Amino acid sequence: MSTTVSPPAPAPQSGRPEAPDSRLRQLPALLLRALLTQRIVLLLVLLVAVVATFVTLSQRNYLTAPYDAGYMSAALISAVPLVMLGLAELLVITSGRGGIDLSVGAVVSLTSMVFGFGYGEWGWPLWPSILLAAAFGALCGAVNGFLIAYIGYPALITTLATYYAFSSLAIVVNDQQPISTQPIQEFFSAARSVPLGGGEDPLQVPLGILTFLLPTAVVVWLLLNRSTYGRRLYAIGTNDVAAQWAGIDVRRTRFLAYTAAGLISGLVAVVTVAQFASARPDAGVAGSGMALPAITIAVLGGVAITGGIGRVAGVVLATLLVVWLNAGILLAVPGNAGSQFQLFALGTVLVFAALLNGLTNRRYGRTG
Amino acid sequence: MSSSTLRPAGGAPSAGQPEHTARARGRVLPFPITGQEVVLIVVIAVLWVALALTTPAFLTSGSIVPLLVAMAPVALIGVGMTVVIITGGIDVSVAGMVMVCAVVVARAMVESGAPLPVAVLLSVALGGLLGLANGVLIAYGRVHAIIITFGTANLFRFLGLQLFGGTTVDNIPGTLAVFGRGEAGRTLGVPHSFLIMLVVAAAAWYYLRHTPSGRHLYAIGGDADAARLAGVKVQRRVLSAYVLTGLLTGLAACFVIARGTSTLAPNVGAGMELAAIAAVVIGGTSIMGGRGSVLGTVLGALLVQTVTSGVTQLGWRSQLASLFVGILILIAVGADLLRERTRRTA
Repeated sequence: MSTTVSPPAPAPQSGRPEAPDSRLRQLPALLLRALLTQRIVLLLVLLVAVVATFVTLSQRNYLTAPYDAGYMSAALISAVPLVMLGLAELLVITSGRGGIDLSVGAVVSLTSMVFGFGYGEWGWPLWPSILLAAAFGALCGAVNGFLIAYIGYPALITTLATYYAFSSLAIVVNDQQPISTQPIQEFFSAARSVPLGGGEDPLQVPLGILTFLLPTAVVVWLLLNRSTYGRRLYAIGTNDVAAQWAGIDVRRTRFLAYTAAGLISGLVAVVTVAQFASARPDAGVAGSGMALPAITIAVLGGVAITGGIGRVAGVVLATLLVVWLNAGILLAVPGNAGSQFQLFALGTVLVFAALLNGLTNRRYGRTG
Repeated sequence: MSSSTLRPAGGAPSAGQPEHTARARGRVLPFPITGQEVVLIVVIAVLWVALALTTPAFLTSGSIVPLLVAMAPVALIGVGMTVVIITGGIDVSVAGMVMVCAVVVARAMVESGAPLPVAVLLSVALGGLLGLANGVLIAYGRVHAIIITFGTANLFRFLGLQLFGGTTVDNIPGTLAVFGRGEAGRTLGVPHSFLIMLVVAAAAWYYLRHTPSGRHLYAIGGDADAARLAGVKVQRRVLSAYVLTGLLTGLAACFVIARGTSTLAPNVGAGMELAAIAAVVIGGTSIMGGRGSVLGTVLGALLVQTVTSGVTQLGWRSQLASLFVGILILIAVGADLLRERTRRTA
């Protein structure tokens, strides 16, 4: 799907010198190698395994409700914020030098309130309000980016500090009260499902997938793989000293990565307001927050925490895996325990994937 | 393991050993109190004086004792976190650990009336076990600490929620009152939990500064490969850092139960990982590893708690405290960056 990132590990397909039949004999080893070294292949296999397992369980009536295409499609509503924030983390983690953004959840909270004021209180039309949210999110991201790229703060600390600051402001700005005026409540329609395709039983797809998730994923993919900015971002993430000597404006590139992450968080705020039908001051930080799941998704999707490696397809596949696994668990383990087993599944998959990565790194060299 | 230090300007790796400025030359160890700690002491003193002048109730035992009791668990976890961060790692699973230890101990006290020593030992041992799981995965799985601890944080929370079983633990007996803020928790007016935290911090300070294995931790954080070539058993040392954090987190869980009410809710410990990391970085420990001190962390925790209490006492909205904590982190780390820069050019 995307071009290879980073100095490519000797690709398994490039065994040109050998005769065709010897290549055929090597096929199992090549497949194993692809499975172990290519995170996307591993995720695809896991995804198929998870879906196949739950569909089988569903057909034998072990689940409390049918696990079919309609259910899987409805479950995608929770994938919208996850994929978008995962892509935000992809951008900042790829920018290297310990890049990470703990503040995305707080930016979502604060921007939710700003969007709530714009659309719900001041009576702005929808599009200017969405633009306002995106711009405000980008501004929050720019604060992070300025401190990290131009002043040289470590990313973890900066975004920890702004996490505290933004989440505090989000609560204080409207006296802890959510905004749920008439226009905001009607905005819930943006979170409805729309029928996709014809026939008498069309598949119901959450509207957010089409209006927010897909455009964001496509734009980030184009940015990373079809623009000079993307090449620069991978370059500074791989080795920012070398990138500096190659004439790349390292600071500006890194600054823009954090700004873009803020912009995406601003859009996620709009999505969350629609889902809750209310602009809540704790939207992005309630419970374990939005930042930790987003980072988990990014890491699971094969984004190297050291920077310079990461693909959009990995993040999308990792989200699909987690969302459909969670949806299946909810049917298999009813009630409160179901949401607890989701934590268990997420933790296990993450640790397993990370350990596998460490193992294959040693066996096959760098992974892509 | 170690985040490879990509500093464009300075080629010299700043390991745990002192920077050879003119002032420190000839001394084996750096001066015991760093500039950051002096700044923190001054800031805390200024805040306390300001608060004492504006709210007369601040400098009374009714206000100081809860402050010290509240900061003790965060500082205790912060001590462990300092050791972990010095080795170049991080542990974001401590909140989950607090939750697991707290619920196990609370249920042991409610259901089988565990006495004080049993409760504390159980909590500390359980914390050590969870820390061991982290340490083994990080040291021998050779995966970056933040990834592993994100994963185990989820697993610990799962474990904790399962143990809670969807409800709260009620009617917890006052077995742990010796660590609380009540009359039983004080000697000569000083809360026990604060004293214990000070003793632990002093021991950790001595260990990090004056024992070979303590210096090894700095060496690992400075450059893990160089440390290995110099004969440091890197994996074993890293493992021990996470076990230590686990043990201290277990003890902190007892303090958390003691400072609360007789009911334990499933949100116990939430946000403590970030609070502990905040205390560590405000205290001047470098998040890149290889530099830092326990003294700074204790001061950092005290500063954060002072701000939190101060905001409440001034009658401001309590959530404003987080805003100030965020700004404090930026100022503290910014001051450290500035000093680092002048040191490098000096």
